[in-house]
Amino acid sequence: MSLVKDGKDLADYCVEYGRRLGATYVEARYVRDTTRGLAYRNGQPVSGGFSPSTGIGVRILVDGNMGFASFDRLEKKLAEESISVVHKMTKTAKRKTPIDLGEPVANRAKWDMKVKDSLRDIDIESLMELSDSVNKQMDGLVAFTFTINPKVMDKYLVTSEGTQIESQQSYILMYSILTAKGNGGSEQRYLDLTLAGGWERIKETNLIDRVLDEVERLKKTATNAVKIEELLNQPVDMVVGPEVAGIIAHENVGHPSEGDRIMGREGAQAGESFWRDLKIGESRVGSDVVSIGEDPTIPNTSGYYLYDDEGVKARKRVLIKNGILHEPLLNREFGTRFGSGSNAAARSVAYNREPIIRMANTYFEAGDHTFDELIEDVKLGVYMRSFMEWNIDDRRYQSKYSGSEAYLIKNGEITDTMVKRPVMETTSIGLLSAIDAVSKNLGFDFPGTCGKGDPSQGCPVYAGGGELRFRKIRLGGVG
Amino acid sequence: MNDYKALVDYAIDYGKDKTDAILARVNVSSGSQIRFSQNAIDISKRWEQLQLQLFAVVKGAKTGSTERPISSSDDVRDAVDDVIKFTGMLPDSQFYAGLEDTIQPYPKLKGEYDDKFDSFVEEAPQIINSVVDSSLEAGAERVAGALRFDKARFFFKSSHGPEGSGRRTFFELSVRAFQEELDFSGQGLSCGVKPSESEREMVRAGEKAGRLSKQAAGAVQGEPGKYDLVLSPTVAADVIGSIPGLANPMSILIGASPLGDKMGEQIAPNFVTASDDALYEGGLSSRAFDWEGTPCRTVKIIENGVLKALLHNTTTARMFESETTGSSTLLGTSMKLLMPASSNIVFENGDHSIDELLDVTRPTIHVTSNWYTRFQNQQSGEFSTIPRDAMFLVDGEEMKPIKNMRISDNTMRMLSSIDALGNDRTQVFWWEVRTPTVIPSMRIRDCRMTAATQ
Repeated sequence: MSLVKDGKDLADYCVEYGRRLGATYVEARYVRDTTRGLAYRNGQPVSGGFSPSTGIGVRILVDGNMGFASFDRLEKKLAEESISVVHKMTKTAKRKTPIDLGEPVANRAKWDMKVKDSLRDIDIESLMELSDSVNKQMDGLVAFTFTINPKVMDKYLVTSEGTQIESQQSYILMYSILTAKGNGGSEQRYLDLTLAGGWERIKETNLIDRVLDEVERLKKTATNAVKIEELLNQPVDMVVGPEVAGIIAHENVGHPSEGDRIMGREGAQAGESFWRDLKIGESRVGSDVVSIGEDPTIPNTSGYYLYDDEGVKARKRVLIKNGILHEPLLNREFGTRFGSGSNAAARSVAYNREPIIRMANTYFEAGDHTFDELIEDVKLGVYMRSFMEWNIDDRRYQSKYSGSEAYLIKNGEITDTMVKRPVMETTSIGLLSAIDAVSKNLGFDFPGTCGKGDPSQGCPVYAGGGELRFRKIRLGGVG
Repeated sequence: MNDYKALVDYAIDYGKDKTDAILARVNVSSGSQIRFSQNAIDISKRWEQLQLQLFAVVKGAKTGSTERPISSSDDVRDAVDDVIKFTGMLPDSQFYAGLEDTIQPYPKLKGEYDDKFDSFVEEAPQIINSVVDSSLEAGAERVAGALRFDKARFFFKSSHGPEGSGRRTFFELSVRAFQEELDFSGQGLSCGVKPSESEREMVRAGEKAGRLSKQAAGAVQGEPGKYDLVLSPTVAADVIGSIPGLANPMSILIGASPLGDKMGEQIAPNFVTASDDALYEGGLSSRAFDWEGTPCRTVKIIENGVLKALLHNTTTARMFESETTGSSTLLGTSMKLLMPASSNIVFENGDHSIDELLDVTRPTIHVTSNWYTRFQNQQSGEFSTIPRDAMFLVDGEEMKPIKNMRISDNTMRMLSSIDALGNDRTQVFWWEVRTPTVIPSMRIRDCRMTAATQ
């Protein structure tokens, strides 16, 4: 792992220059990444792209006001101009309450995602071969797309407090939009197949088999799923798979736990948080069996990192413990405001984005049930394995998950009857309180790109859980 | 290095004999943003970029692109070599049928550049203070938002002959005002191409957000059911204004458009006409020519309610036996594809005042803002979106604030059920609406509103 030397030198210089202007804290992040990609539609090549990117992002703290400058050319004069302009803008902000980053952080480290086959060494023929194999699995769909972008990102973070961290992250970004046509019209599915690590992850995760499995499931759904009135007339039990558990952990728990939201910093964009009016350590938001982990230190995940983008050492966070709010996600600024310090949740997705509080890998902690045990005492219910449409309000309180592949459960057994688009439209507390059991089968079935920030920062994350059982859910779609 | 034109000239001179065709663009931009919340500035940001973008065609039908920062003509040469080498290894594209190969005069754009932009940069923090103050004076307790303002220049050349350049400025202000409670809030937006002439509008956006947040105070849970909806321009831009943008062959081919089989059909009432208008004065995405050097024009997508046209570049026009509409764009984040894309979506204005739209005898809800629009099926248009900020149930003379509801409907059904258009046409561009959309308020019949069941 090596970085272009003048990028690192220039980052060092930015820290020195910012200090010379009078900033009390300066942080410079040099980022170099390379993406190569191919795009296909119905198995046919559309085009390809190859984009190396470099740049430096600099944060400065001036009289308690925060500024951020970024530039793409590694030129000293441009660096000076950019930092000077933002220094001037920052000084005029005149906050009444100064931003305080808390105790100084001075970590020095090198870390990377462990890879066997570096993505930089993978030739274009290998990308094309893989794409052809993936596209073959999609035969029989009326429309399908596949894009693949291996991306390797090197970072060098240096701060005026003495932090110096080098890192390398490696992702195979893969996305598909699938459309199957059946008796009941068409059904669509958006597949995020992103893998973290080297090229070996394609085989290790049985990517080709997984794609075929998802395609066959979508075809079956389009052909067989039907509306079942009985499910709408009364409360029913729901069992959801790790993919649905993952999106719930991410949206209903991860986002509202973000300290910047809780304190209002995302007010005009991603929104605030219903956690604001609750007490951390005291307020119950779910049943006893609900514990939500948030852990950036899990290898082979998109959320993997060992130091965050403020140089704080990463650790697992527990957001909800046995149904009670336990810990918010914090960076240095909000760690100081909460009085607990950062728990290393600051991430920046590119050189031209400020580090903000983000999730990494968010999941329901595994429970003690087998999947069969979850199903066996459900008299009437639905097993929702996957979802398509979803959304949640910006306090993260009113959510909707609309099923893709779903089956009727009757008298303790999953039947062959497929349920068309069951809708769980609930509040966060209503949803988490209805969970009475979690399976042992922890899986991170939901790789995703989390959106937050302005300008937007699409951040790679994983989410998951064991299967969850909800008691007495009134299915939505009312109105 | 200031001779940016020389860089694109060099890219083409160096690359034209090594390729079947090559397009080059140099984009130079300086951007700033001030973000604020809880009535105080959180961060001031600045971006400087000089990027070269290339699209190359080699060995007949292999197409590839690159985008990267450059500092010198050596960097340009390396980028051309890289894109040719990379593209040469790709399979033939099945979605390439040529590029613009004639040189034509470009239309003149009006008012796309603010000559006083540089002085605005210095005034911006003070303007934010005025926006916050106006919001507080109108009844807000807490104010958050972001003001973005950029200036950019670009230089373009095609190995087939067309070339050109342009410059633009723009701003985008989003203000959100809250009462002390989380869910009594209001939004104000302002966007345009001349920030130095728009201070009053920005302050008005702050005032509007504050007023709406106060009017939303005491909002109660709404009852699920069918309602007529009056959508503000902000909401209409997202829910209805996105439909003309899907008159795009690539969206249709990948199953992401409901318009694939609707050409010539009446898809909206006859008083609805919407265009893709790259020449719209003050449009945030106005442009004189597209990515291939084809002159831009106004394309009527929906005329008197009938779907009339798709957006095309040279390739899709040939595939669909049509003509290019000057809509070619190099699109994408990490990988870029040359395909048709919207510029500004512009709806014709209506003739009803907002009071007339709200003068109703049927159960009606006025939705002022929304976010998080997601589709169950993009081909058929089933979707839901979440009204946020002030929402009012119209009950005779009274407007009662309500909350916690979701529009769960079908975009094509809603388009066909527009009942009346307002006369308050506004350009909308914010977090949730990334294609500049000029659209009035509208009333839509029998929309399905849902709510949490527990």
